[in-house]
Amino acid sequence: MAKASEKRLLSEDQAVELIALFLSSARLLISEPPSYGPLRLLTATERLSNMILDDASPTTKKLLQICIDRIPHTYTLANEVKEYASAMDELCEALGECLVDRAKLQGGSS
Amino acid sequence: MSNPILENIRTRRVIREMTDEPVDPQHLEQILEAGRWSPTGGNQRPNRFVVIDDPELQRLIRLVAPGMFQDAPILILICVDLATFHHQLDPEDDPLYPIDVGKAAQTMALAAHSLGLATGPVTSFNKSAVKKILNLPEDVAPWLFLCVGHKAPQTPFAMRGAQRIRWQDLCYRNRYEAWDR
Repeated sequence: MAKASEKRLLSEDQAVELIALFLSSARLLISEPPSYGPLRLLTATERLSNMILDDASPTTKKLLQICIDRIPHTYTLANEVKEYASAMDELCEALGECLVDRAKLQGGSS
Repeated sequence: MSNPILENIRTRRVIREMTDEPVDPQHLEQILEAGRWSPTGGNQRPNRFVVIDDPELQRLIRLVAPGMFQDAPILILICVDLATFHHQLDPEDDPLYPIDVGKAAQTMALAAHSLGLATGPVTSFNKSAVKKILNLPEDVAPWLFLCVGHKAPQTPFAMRGAQRIRWQDLCYRNRYEAWDR
């Protein structure tokens, strides 16, 4: 549960939009090509990023902007596994940085 | 290639980003008429075409259509009226009507392209939800959305093929002998 001091970033309409995407995808993916699974998750990530970008903290905003900028290109690589994995690794690296920044972790070897 | 029909086939693309420029109603009617001329198995004509131009309905459809990236001014839903197959014991098993849907979609896409319009087919949508949203009769099964509009100046989202394919790579002679052999 979110802390009372944290502001709400999603409206009810936006939340319903995401639920619609998740439920529709969960039903469709039973009969769609396996490669569509990652694409649907990317679509959800891109949509959520756009929904909360304006009100997010600077640390999170940096990650969201990376997602918004890079995901459209990442879609195009879905048929090229190595390039796709590499592009996803870069996104996950940005995610890791955001998580570390948000947790305000100190120190480390690198 | 100077044959205009072959050139139209060769240059059509799936477009995933469109402008909000409206579609000329006369062009829409020409596309729908092209769908009517699309051949169907046994000439049974099971296809039904639902045009969705209401922005609120379009928004609701996009919510349950994960494969719909276009924000097209016109959606044409190609449905199959299963009552057409009333003489069959189980029309759900009929192997012909998905082919009829595909033929209609391609015919309409080519018609739209010849009129300077862009199209994108979408089959990744939740059929149960769409039936509710569009109030489709029980016997009418939704199969494919054809998004119709004007191509955006930049359409970055074109999925790359796994490899470059020539027509000869897909074609064989007689007993599955390679075309280039």
